[in-house]
Amino acid sequence: MKDVIVIGGGPSGLAAASSLAEKGYNVAIIERKEELGGILDQCIHDGFGTKIFRKALSGPEFVDHYIDKINKLGVDVYLESFVKTIDVEGDLKKVICISPKDVNKLETRALIFAVGCREKTPFEIKVGGTRPAGVYTAGMVQRLINIYGILPGKNVLLVGGGDVGMIVARHLYLEGVESILVVYPEDFFVGLPRNVQQCILDFNIPYRPRTIVKEIVGKKRVEGAILTKVDKNWNPIPGTEEFYKCDSIIFSVGLVPYTGKLEEINAKIDPKTRGPEVNEFFETSVPGIFAVGNLVQIFDYVDDAVESALISAEGVEKYLAKVPKRTTPIKINPGNNVLSVIPQRIEWEDNKDIISFFRPAITIKNAILELTNEKNEVLKTFRRPFVRPSTLERIKISRKVVLSSKEVFLNVRESS
Amino acid sequence: MLEKALEVICIRCPKGCRIKIEKKGENIKIEGYECPLGKTYAEEEITNPKRVVTSTVRILGAIHPRLPVRTLYPIPKYKIKDVINALRGIVIEAPVRKGQIIIDNVCGTGVPIIAERDMERVKE
Repeated sequence: MKDVIVIGGGPSGLAAASSLAEKGYNVAIIERKEELGGILDQCIHDGFGTKIFRKALSGPEFVDHYIDKINKLGVDVYLESFVKTIDVEGDLKKVICISPKDVNKLETRALIFAVGCREKTPFEIKVGGTRPAGVYTAGMVQRLINIYGILPGKNVLLVGGGDVGMIVARHLYLEGVESILVVYPEDFFVGLPRNVQQCILDFNIPYRPRTIVKEIVGKKRVEGAILTKVDKNWNPIPGTEEFYKCDSIIFSVGLVPYTGKLEEINAKIDPKTRGPEVNEFFETSVPGIFAVGNLVQIFDYVDDAVESALISAEGVEKYLAKVPKRTTPIKINPGNNVLSVIPQRIEWEDNKDIISFFRPAITIKNAILELTNEKNEVLKTFRRPFVRPSTLERIKISRKVVLSSKEVFLNVRESS
Repeated sequence: MLEKALEVICIRCPKGCRIKIEKKGENIKIEGYECPLGKTYAEEEITNPKRVVTSTVRILGAIHPRLPVRTLYPIPKYKIKDVINALRGIVIEAPVRKGQIIIDNVCGTGVPIIAERDMERVKE
């Protein structure tokens, strides 16, 4: 019987597992791939760890810190293993995982989901046309280039102006594609401005804002795409269609949390984050089942994903020690000009500050972040020189500020 | 006389200030930065912009066919393509240790190329 099983051997899962193993808990990790590290094994660019290690590490270097800990602590690791079923019988959780070699039946008291997210496909954004070879997602291309040394094509069209897209555009350019064009429906790149500079502008990679792929063209292999201009609501503008010749189309159009297994055990999903609802220690709506990292919220920084994992480790300790919860949780809601917020509720008897992450709905300078209650009273304000939807905000809330409220709302407004 | 004018996005922190830089002789005029880091970045961008370069080299006998590598320190931006080209044709035998030097003084920059991770020798 394990104290805790962590599903997913990426940075968040490894951070949670090593933190608990260091404290003497009996921990196991279940990982789908042939080695630990998660997505960071293919993120070979630098810029990871600026918050935790105060330097810009590459993805493999960042995650190696945690892999090393896991190895030294002698944590049980099941590689090439896929979780088939989870049975929750109150305090006891039964997990069956399968690998090419065997079937393992494990039992545990607590379970941490650290399974991350997957890439959205062109089918999910309703791209028309044919379905030839040469259509990829950006993460797949990053894997092909950095792990296997294979370029997806010679003349590449990349769809999406987020961080993943920009970073993959730089890989493609440096590793030697003949041509590349980046298109996206927004007015400007939506990823971090530093990536616009060091991935796109540094190499004069051409890009077209307010442009989408209307149709993929090609029989066996991609022969090109019909591009069209869109208005500010992303509606195609008639008469702006144009054929663009290319042999590959790469989609980098967003990430979706992997919630399948959590839904099977009836964990509540937040339609705004598309991840599970969690309390302030990252416990889902099912007691003893925790969720961390990009599964809960797509973080801008792996450092923040790791922070969520370390907070969950404290939650697991509380759960195992049967620390009491409040009779009614305090709900945390996105208020004015906020798209989503985690945690969605506060429910443990504790005195620790609450770390909250939220995504603003608008771009404004001199922003005021306001915490209000169900009577619309202002509980606390925070100032930010600048907020925008592409940057996840992190705030620390003192518990005594919210304890007498039934519900709190997180709002963003311009300073008056 | 105006020698050089640039508009850059600061890469030092997530805020990403848009900074305007003008250089006239020894005189550098910088506008739009919101902290000292941005000012230093802007000064470097107009005099000698530098970047860390990351790529991969071929590796034999390891779990994957490519080993991720990078420059240990930032190198001048205009040498990025040269560094990438210098990595073509390099073949390494596993095992490799993280931080191991793959090329010393790459392209005369005085900066080595290092391995980003351990890669063990795997049985065929």
